[in-house]
Order: sequence, then structure tokens, then C-alpha cells
Amino acid sequence: MKAKLELWVGLKVIDLVTQTAWMTFTEKLNYEGILRGLRRYSYFGIEVEGEEFEGTVEEIDRAIQLDSAFTNQNKHFYRLLAAGTDALAGQDGRHGDDLSLSVLLASDSSSLSSRGTLAIERDYPAAGRGERNGRLFSFDCLIRPSLRDRELPYMERLNGRLDGAKVTDIVAGEVWRITVEGADIEEAANIVDGMVVTRSRREGLLMNPHYQRYEVIASKELS
Amino acid sequence: MKRNFSRKVAVIQFPGVNCEYETARAIRTVGLEAGLFRWNEDPAVLDDAVAIVLPGGFSYQDRIRAGVVAAKDRVMDKVSELAAAGMPVLGICNGAQVLVESGFVPGLQWESVELALAPNIMEDRSGYYCRWVYSRLEETGTAWTGSFSEGAVIPIPIAHAEGRFVTENEKVLKAMKENGQIVLRYCDSTGVVDGSFPANPNGSMDNIAAACNREGNVVAMMPHPERATWLRQVPENLPDEWGRRRRKGAGNIDLLEGEGPGRKFFASLLERLKQGGVL
Repeated sequence: MKAKLELWVGLKVIDLVTQTAWMTFTEKLNYEGILRGLRRYSYFGIEVEGEEFEGTVEEIDRAIQLDSAFTNQNKHFYRLLAAGTDALAGQDGRHGDDLSLSVLLASDSSSLSSRGTLAIERDYPAAGRGERNGRLFSFDCLIRPSLRDRELPYMERLNGRLDGAKVTDIVAGEVWRITVEGADIEEAANIVDGMVVTRSRREGLLMNPHYQRYEVIASKELS
Repeated sequence: MKRNFSRKVAVIQFPGVNCEYETARAIRTVGLEAGLFRWNEDPAVLDDAVAIVLPGGFSYQDRIRAGVVAAKDRVMDKVSELAAAGMPVLGICNGAQVLVESGFVPGLQWESVELALAPNIMEDRSGYYCRWVYSRLEETGTAWTGSFSEGAVIPIPIAHAEGRFVTENEKVLKAMKENGQIVLRYCDSTGVVDGSFPANPNGSMDNIAAACNREGNVVAMMPHPERATWLRQVPENLPDEWGRRRRKGAGNIDLLEGEGPGRKFFASLLERLKQGGVL
């Protein structure tokens, strides 16, 4: 049995990194009135092989709770999402390798197993708040190192704590959930790209393209 | 009251830096005046300064990425203007990260981010690394290196987690080499540039420890010259002339207060300012 898992980790306390990013965007990079929401999570995309689905997810859940490289119970909330690869294949093509399992949270999908208390599906800014000139779009941008060898140590750590199951691949990075105003999703996506990629002193903040890369793993319009 | 930086080197104090006082003291050892400039003061007072130094530490607690938040600060608009006009600017460690994230180094396209100071790559370890290393002087034509002899082997401490010079654009490295913008390279104690750890302590491309803009007035260096300004700062076990001097100086305060291997970076500035008629 093969399964795909995603671990989303958020702080229990106020995230000062996100606050600093918010202030930098709005006060120094002219995104005041455009940027409407900003959240940050640690993210691990995990591919695993095991005997049977529920037992494998249980084993991974136990392992990530024991290892502070993934979660620290004193300061983190987490959400572990899991789906069998076979089950995913039958789901109207919405979750290929490049999409997050988190999109299934809204659809009440029977193929999704969910553990933990971090409410990522509700962690959006209130759409009705404040004056608006355009539509609101939210993008989950996964930023990760360009070099794979920065991620693989997490696989070794996790496998060192597993008995029956085996992790076969892992993606480790940070997800920034960016909510912006835009006329349509294309314009909003361009705005977000300009915020993420640091191309110059006056453009971009969240990643340096000389050693990092990013991809949008989920996006949606807020109603 | 307006602060006066006339004839002074301004040391920029971003929130979270922690090397500003010793950097100012190190600058004063060569006879220059130095003063601290808080990041939120009126940047216009920097017009009177003779040079600017961005010291080491953790500006904005390294939030998001080392140096990137400070790079967006209002004071950097003024630093950009003055650096483009030729004022000597030195970034040490976190200051180097600020200069690279500002696009002043290598500055092939001014303010475009053409490099990164990425997390270290080291043998059998990761993260923060603190050690005395050796670097070889490659370029004496900058505002901060004119007092050295070319090829000088300089023992100097590093202390960083993100100091690996890297670019995804091969043309940038090629241009830096052609323009003489590589200022220091990590090497072994005999001056041999060896790409492997520990001679190259962080996996930096082409062993780069310091780089400059095309004009040579802006230098970004990961090693800390202010921690190698006095002989007393030199470890006794260095296997070179500096180590021998340090052992000989044990117990002799006059010798120990004498010059260390990094002081020439600041002496070079003094020389440059005198030559340029600034002082």
C-alpha cells in the first residue's frame, strides 16, 4: 500500500516572522490595501509504503509527535492529512502530484484521513472585513530549498522512528498562505509571484531564487 | 538636534545586530572616527559620513531570511544612493547578507538580487559554524583592501549559518571573475584554495569569502575583521606566523594590544580616504 501524507505545522503563539513579513510588505513594499491575509506553516509532503493504510498513518502520526524536527507539542499545533495513492487516482483529477491534499478538506472527501487540531481549512482572513476594491484570492505557496539534500535528512529521521512503514520520499519547506485582492485569479497570481520571489531590493521578499524555489500547491477564491 | 557624522565612519545599527560596538572600536584603532547610526534616524545625516559599515549580528532576528528585511529599510535607500556615488561601504557577516539581498553586491545590475548567501553546506554537520579560517586576498583594488599585499593569507574568524555565496546564473560568477569582484577566497593555512571542507568552511561557490561591486567601493565579507583587529584576539594554536606572534605576546600587554590580521581592512579605508582627499 502506498500513501501520500502532508504534515502542516503552525505555532501556538503569535508568529512574529509572519508579522514582520506583513509589516515589510505593507510598509516598505507598497502592498498596503492589496495584501489581505498572511499565514505561515511548516510543511512536509511525505510518500510512504506500508502494510495497510490506517496502521501506516497511525505510525507516522506517532513518529512526528516524538521528533521535534517535525512537531514540538509545547509550541506547535499540527494537522496530518493522508490519502491512499489508489484512492487519489480516482478523484476527478484534482490532486495530482502538484496539488495539496488540503484542497480535499473542503470537499468532505471520504478518501482523506485527517489527524491533529490545526484548522488550516479555516485559517483565512474574514472576507467581509474592510473595504474592498476587487475579489479576494488565497494562494498556498510552498517554498523549499533548490537542493534535494536539504530535505532528505528528514526522511532518514522519520524512517529511523518507523517500524513497519517506510518513507520513500519527502518534501520539506514552508507554506506561506497569501491572500490578496485582484480583478481575477491571473492578476492575483502575478501579484503573489511578485511578493514571493526576491528579484531586487524593491521587489519580492519570501524566497531568494538563487537557492530556493516555490510552487503554488493550492489556491482558491474567498467568497 | 541633528546628529553629526562629519569625517566619521557610520556604523549602521539595525535592530538585532550585535557587533556594532566592537566594529566601531576596531575602526578607531587606525585613527578613524566612528559613530553608531540607528536604523530609524534621519538618513540624511549619512551624507556627511566618509564611509558606512553594516556590522554583523542578526538584523530583525534573521526573520524570513538573513538580511532581507533590513535590505528593504528606508535607510538602505540612502546607502544605495551614497554607494552608487562611490562612498566606501563594508558589510560584515549579517551586513554582507544585507548588501547581497540589497543587490549592491555584485551589483552588475544595481539593486537586482544576483546572489544569495545560502545556508552552509558542511561535512557531517549543518547550521551555524564558528571557527578561525584562512582566506586569501584576491583583490587589492577595493576601498577596503588596498593596504594588503595581493595573495596575502589572512587568518580570520567566521561565525554564520548562512554564508555560502551562490548564484543560479553562471554568467554572474563569470562576470565577477572577469571584473575582479572576488575579494577573498577561503583557503588552507598555506594559501592553497581547496574547495573541500574545512578549507572551504561553508561550501561557498569558488571558495568566495568576500565579494565587491564593480567599482570596488562596496565589499560584502562573511569573515569578521573586527574580531581579528588586535593580536590578543588571535588563537595561540594557529599554525602560522600570527599564531607564533600570539604565543610570543603571551603576558605582554603592549604586544597583545598590537595589530591583528584583520586591522588592515580598516587601515585600507583610511589610506583610501586620504588618497581621495576626503580626510
